[in-house]
Amino acid sequence: MEASDVTNHVIEDLVTGSLPWDQAKQLIRLDPKDNDRFWKYLAVLQSRVKWKEKILIRISEHLYVVAKGKDRIVKCDCGQEFGDYRMNWKLQAKIFVRRTPEEMAEVYSIDISSPETRLVELREYYCPGCYSLLATEVLPPGFPPFFEMLPDLDTLYREWLGKPLADESPGWFEDKTLELTAEWGRGGVKA
Amino acid sequence: MGICYGGKTLKEAQTAATQLFEKTGRLYGLKELPLLEQDPIKLAKFQSKLVAACVQARDTAKLITANPIALIMSELQFMLGVPEGDLVSSSYGLIGHLQSAPFVVRYIAETGLEEDGIKSGDIFSSNDPKFGAPHPADCFTTIPIFYDGVLMGWAMGMSHIADTGSIQPGGLSAISVSSFTDGYFYPPMKTGENFKQYRWYYEQWQRKTRAGDFNVMDERMRATGATMLHDKVIEIIKEFGPDYYREALKEIMERERRVLTGRVMSETVPGKYEYQAFNRVNFKGLMTNLWPRSDRDWLLNEGCDTYINPDGSLTMDLEGTSSEDEFYANCYESGLRMVSSLGCWPTFAYSKTLNTALQYMTHWKIPPGSMYNPQSPSAGAVTGLIEGQSYLCMFLMVISQARLARGFLEETYTMAGTGSGIASTGAFSDGFEWQGGDWSHICAKAGPPSAFKDGETLNFGGPAPQSDLGEMEATEFIQPTCLYIGRRPLQDYFGHGKYRCGVGLSDLLLIVEPGKRLDFCASAGSGGGVCEPAYGMCGGYPSPNDINAFFVGTNMKEILANGGTYPRDLQEARQWMKEGKLKVDRFFYYNNYTPTINLKDGDIFGLANGLQPGWGDVLERSKALVARDVGEGSMSEETARKVYGVAFSDGKVDERETEKARKQIRDKRRERSVDVQEWWKQERERVRAKEFYEDVNNMYWDCLKWEKFRRKFMGFWQLPEDYSLSMRGGVGNGS
Repeated sequence: MEASDVTNHVIEDLVTGSLPWDQAKQLIRLDPKDNDRFWKYLAVLQSRVKWKEKILIRISEHLYVVAKGKDRIVKCDCGQEFGDYRMNWKLQAKIFVRRTPEEMAEVYSIDISSPETRLVELREYYCPGCYSLLATEVLPPGFPPFFEMLPDLDTLYREWLGKPLADESPGWFEDKTLELTAEWGRGGVKA
Repeated sequence: MGICYGGKTLKEAQTAATQLFEKTGRLYGLKELPLLEQDPIKLAKFQSKLVAACVQARDTAKLITANPIALIMSELQFMLGVPEGDLVSSSYGLIGHLQSAPFVVRYIAETGLEEDGIKSGDIFSSNDPKFGAPHPADCFTTIPIFYDGVLMGWAMGMSHIADTGSIQPGGLSAISVSSFTDGYFYPPMKTGENFKQYRWYYEQWQRKTRAGDFNVMDERMRATGATMLHDKVIEIIKEFGPDYYREALKEIMERERRVLTGRVMSETVPGKYEYQAFNRVNFKGLMTNLWPRSDRDWLLNEGCDTYINPDGSLTMDLEGTSSEDEFYANCYESGLRMVSSLGCWPTFAYSKTLNTALQYMTHWKIPPGSMYNPQSPSAGAVTGLIEGQSYLCMFLMVISQARLARGFLEETYTMAGTGSGIASTGAFSDGFEWQGGDWSHICAKAGPPSAFKDGETLNFGGPAPQSDLGEMEATEFIQPTCLYIGRRPLQDYFGHGKYRCGVGLSDLLLIVEPGKRLDFCASAGSGGGVCEPAYGMCGGYPSPNDINAFFVGTNMKEILANGGTYPRDLQEARQWMKEGKLKVDRFFYYNNYTPTINLKDGDIFGLANGLQPGWGDVLERSKALVARDVGEGSMSEETARKVYGVAFSDGKVDERETEKARKQIRDKRRERSVDVQEWWKQERERVRAKEFYEDVNNMYWDCLKWEKFRRKFMGFWQLPEDYSLSMRGGVGNGS
């Protein structure tokens, strides 16, 4: 396989998990990789969602950072919006916490390999729109949810891809999660 | 007059190289690579000869030892260093050790050995974690390479020895509390000359460890291999000339640095990635009268913020991890770099050759006092590199997340620090004492899932490149009273997800006529019931924990004497126990390290391990894949229904029931979940009331002294400035 053989069709098969293993192996062996992969990938992802906002990047199986007006927000492929991408999207999700051995047993079949419930809990984060399971965490009670990925989009687009975004600003690469909890602490609801 | 080129001392040469990199951002300040540009074929030929010299040394020298850890488990490596200590070429082996080797040479310079004289034929040895070795089981033999009286580099051999003379058998003692119980180790020191070790040095191994013969043979193996490498390199220098040799090494290193940063920039996404893992140390009750300050349990915070920087380098900020303490789990930077690099090689650092250019594009911020930067001279570090495994996983998880974002799904994987080993020692009834060393018993860990496929079952040996890691016959030979009676993939044992990891393997060992004694201990990497890492990818479930289980006082030998059969895996043995078929006086298990356990004739040890986190939502797993799982026996129908919502009838997927089951699971999610803000309000009250289990409380008490963790914890829960916790139930070092 050559870099030019990596078509949108191949990418779509990769995204849907239907790419035959023989082809996947050729993709793995491709060195260097196709340098326009990101643009093909975005085109495939955009074609698979029903909404119109432009996808800037995919940050998880179902979640994307999209341009919406002057904002960059996190959006699920079902259409559910999670607000400013600089705030940990988990804080806008639904959560269920498994705290007991019985609750753990629903997803850990062998009891003696299950997480130790004296020490940790299993948090499941769902999309409030489609109730897909978006993220899991096994953390001690009280441990703040961790922010899996805050992309530096301006550097990616300008310096690595050579196509700067129109709304560049140094402020786009700032973790604003604690601004949201501060708002909650004051009794407010900030989306 | 120093031994390096231009009359520089070793220390001066190292300082000059460091300053050039800091000033220019390029190794040795190289802007152009003239040898590569003018004649790339010649450089490739030169480089191939270096690699061949390392491989040849390894494949010949390993035949000298009888130690299966080198022969079969492959923890043996020969490497070629530049004078300043960076490694420019290596054989295969457990290749992470490449990353710790520069620390050895750095300390040869820092400890002033040059002032005592370094000459051709000298042999330097070391296994001190504070001075470059990841842990005392990893022994380095280092021979300087001189040409025309100038130091041209270092020929190095490294192998994992069978026993370090620690408080527990093997090299991964899990009941050590300090360097004083870590075993026999020593900083870089001269242990031979004229390419021959001193006799006193061999006597040290005989007197101070349980496996003197193995360890002496390993010494001979490393010294022989390093000497072979030395001689071959002299030939290469003569062929290419000393000036070419010297400059070519520099160009190889700088070219590699550029390749690695270029790969990061072309396949990932710059940004900040938070990663989280935990681990445990369980000493409570064990140390009561022996070592009172260690008579407690620890929950260890092993997270970090990883930055993929605009220049393609990576920065790992470990501020906020748990503090150093009086346990075995402290880890020096050399150990951290060694084991974590095993997550770099398969993701972005793979290349045609192996070298330490990786160290110039991975930057670690580790505050003094962290368990990853211990300051106490007596910090126990015998098993510290296992704690470094968290960051092996970090590279896989973080780089995979970045590659998912960039579209390179074919290069994505989850990874957990799972896997276990056994170390045992004993004495036959005739008094003959034997020592079994460390054995990674699971020959093939479950393959990790990715963004487009499941992981393979029985896929790879984590700590070594050879697939025969954990070979049963070799294990039975070296640990002769432990007989394998079962080994097979364990049903329902994997990290669940849209794509799941391969099925985990389970072993059963029957103890047969151990004679006077059998001291048995097992390790595990999965974090002791807290999962490592602390998440799955994109909604996949975190991997189940490793299991080390003991069936003490069984009737297994009676069953066999009556013509019965063996149980084939851990769960089957438990089922037999439940049914009364296997009678057991006492059953107990660990999800992490075990203390030393004295096993008797007829006892059974069972283990299962080596899993990876799942990828994606279980409800999106195709029914066809679940049907395949159930059909091949890797998944029970019960798990298929309960976890994946796929129902079966007469061995086939029941479409109607499946639709109903999946809807029920999704409805249950809707019913049981709450807005995170609502959860935050409730949890905040618990945090304010300090309602934590003791070990969790103590972890927060420790970590809150680190500014970064405190800022995040206090800010997230919106706590008052005077919020503080008190240490409960024991004595710690973190105040």
